[in-house]
Amino acid sequence: MKNTMKNIAALFLIFVFSGSVVNAQGWTVPASAKKKQNPYEATSKNISSGKKIYNIQCKSCHGDPTMANMLPLAPVAPTDLGAQNFLIQSDGEIFYKVNKGQGAMPAFEKTISDEDKWMVIAFLRSFDKNKKVKQQVAEVKNPEVTDVKLELNVNEADKTMLAKLSGVTKKGKRVGLQGIEMSFLVKRSFGYLDVSGEDPYTNESGDVQIQFPKDLPGDREGQVNMLVKVTDDAFYGNLEEKRVVTLGVPTDPVNPLDERAMWGTRANAPIWIIVTFVGGVLAIWSVIFLVLFQMIKLPKLAKSKD
Amino acid sequence: MKEETSNNSRRKFLKSFGISVGAAGVVSSFSLIGAAKAAAKKPAEMVNLLTQDGQLVQVDKNQLRPTVNEPLDELQKRGREGIPGKSFVMVIDLSKCRNARKCMDACQNHHQLRADQHHINVLQMQDAEHTAPYFMPKPCQHCDNPPCTKVCPVDATFKRQDGIVLIDNERCIGCRFCIAACPYSARIFQWTEPKDAEKYKDLTYNIEANVPQKKGTVSKCLFSADRLREDKLPSCVSACPNGVYYFGDQNEDAVTNGTTGETVRFSKLIEENAGYTLMEELGTKPRVYYLPPKNRAFEFNGDLLNEENLH
Ligand code: SF4
Ligand code: SF4
Repeated sequence: MKNTMKNIAALFLIFVFSGSVVNAQGWTVPASAKKKQNPYEATSKNISSGKKIYNIQCKSCHGDPTMANMLPLAPVAPTDLGAQNFLIQSDGEIFYKVNKGQGAMPAFEKTISDEDKWMVIAFLRSFDKNKKVKQQVAEVKNPEVTDVKLELNVNEADKTMLAKLSGVTKKGKRVGLQGIEMSFLVKRSFGYLDVSGEDPYTNESGDVQIQFPKDLPGDREGQVNMLVKVTDDAFYGNLEEKRVVTLGVPTDPVNPLDERAMWGTRANAPIWIIVTFVGGVLAIWSVIFLVLFQMIKLPKLAKSKD
Repeated sequence: MKEETSNNSRRKFLKSFGISVGAAGVVSSFSLIGAAKAAAKKPAEMVNLLTQDGQLVQVDKNQLRPTVNEPLDELQKRGREGIPGKSFVMVIDLSKCRNARKCMDACQNHHQLRADQHHINVLQMQDAEHTAPYFMPKPCQHCDNPPCTKVCPVDATFKRQDGIVLIDNERCIGCRFCIAACPYSARIFQWTEPKDAEKYKDLTYNIEANVPQKKGTVSKCLFSADRLREDKLPSCVSACPNGVYYFGDQNEDAVTNGTTGETVRFSKLIEENAGYTLMEELGTKPRVYYLPPKNRAFEFNGDLLNEENLH
């Protein structure tokens, strides 16, 4: 009896596992989809924006590429997307799988734009040992530097910010660092609002200038908390600068309780309600008192008539 | 002479009173010590607890005490006042909802609700015979012109300066006028003892979470006002796996997505996606905005109970 039970259990387990294996491998991609090529070049810009999207959309399950720190899901754990045996696939194959999803992998066909998906693929390709050479040609080479500094210049009149990224070369000269992406973030209640704009990359002299949105509310004085940082920690570590700037539109928060309204408490009831109510109560009581006084007068009247 | 006797008797009375009280004290302290000893002797039953920094520790069950909270007065006062300078709004993107119902679970956990009680409910919608069906999560709309607070006879439900509409179940008399007044059916009534009533009975009432719930009072969505105080997103918003919810401060013109953590401009989001509010013709001025179920990320499966379809 026991044995049969064990056998059944084992059979069941085998069945479940084989099913999941079939699931993991049975990812059929049509030949036409496989042929697609990433229309975006593997420039450092595209790769870094792909990394941003990856960190928001993919990282929570797949972990960091090549680090194999994915979420340990059962029965099929998410793939390490930086692994070489994953990157064997064509761009189109990956694109198709991201679109359609399977099992625990969601379909991103409509939740992420095509452009963003290609950026992610460009980012993943940067881990591909076979194609990496090509990408490095496109990248700007900065000299090796130490003591990297981030300086901020705020122009309150035309609401612009200038960040300067520089480092000291081996020869002891301070030079600007080129082609590095910066993030300009405004602190809000539950997160940071990115105001970096389209092209937040440092130029030859290590400068990047951004236009702060003209209509973004600040506090009463128009102050906002800014966080400026090098987007990708991989270059120079976590380099950031926090600053309170007066670039927002001064905003006085309205307290809805200041207004007299029906929905408010007794303390701020509308005047007309208070007047009508108090008037009504007074009117009724005065009628009652009037009647009472008249009744008191009755016996007196009767006497005087006698 | 008379005086003396009365004095005497009073003294006598006080004496005997003192002795008996003292005795009672001794007896009770004895029994306390006894109880403590008994508790100490019992084979220690250990429970696993997660500390704040994420470590799993074992603690003797006899040493567990309910956490000491702020006193009730303080909680009530700050709960009534709200958080100055804020104006909370929620945006629900219908094109991303696939009825995962994680928001509902998180909410029911947070607010001591049974599975059939909803502060937030995901509804299957079909506007007309030939229109496409879609899923719509529906919390309290935290109206800026709330019909519910107008009808409460005891000032139990009220609006605060940050826009949130709350209920004080210490005041609520269970008349249910507010349930009748709310056009969005956002309110529920506790007909029976709430779930886990035993477990929560020693907890100080927190008006911002409406916990512990009380039989015979009304409850509804609170935008997790207690979490907002700690700069955390509401339970439902952070529990959604599909990026449906945005939540933020209208005064800052920014809302944050609970799934991706991405922060966007509130006005832009509404403008670019044709955001709308529910039944605006009623003039209730909701604080919950919806983005239309256009270009949907998931197919409508219409089958609530089929788990397969939910993942
Ligand atoms: S949705 Fe209903 S309960 Fe919520 S504020 Fe509006 S009227 Fe009141
Ligand atoms: S049920 Fe409670 S909150 Fe609602 S109107 Fe009556 S007393 Fe006010």
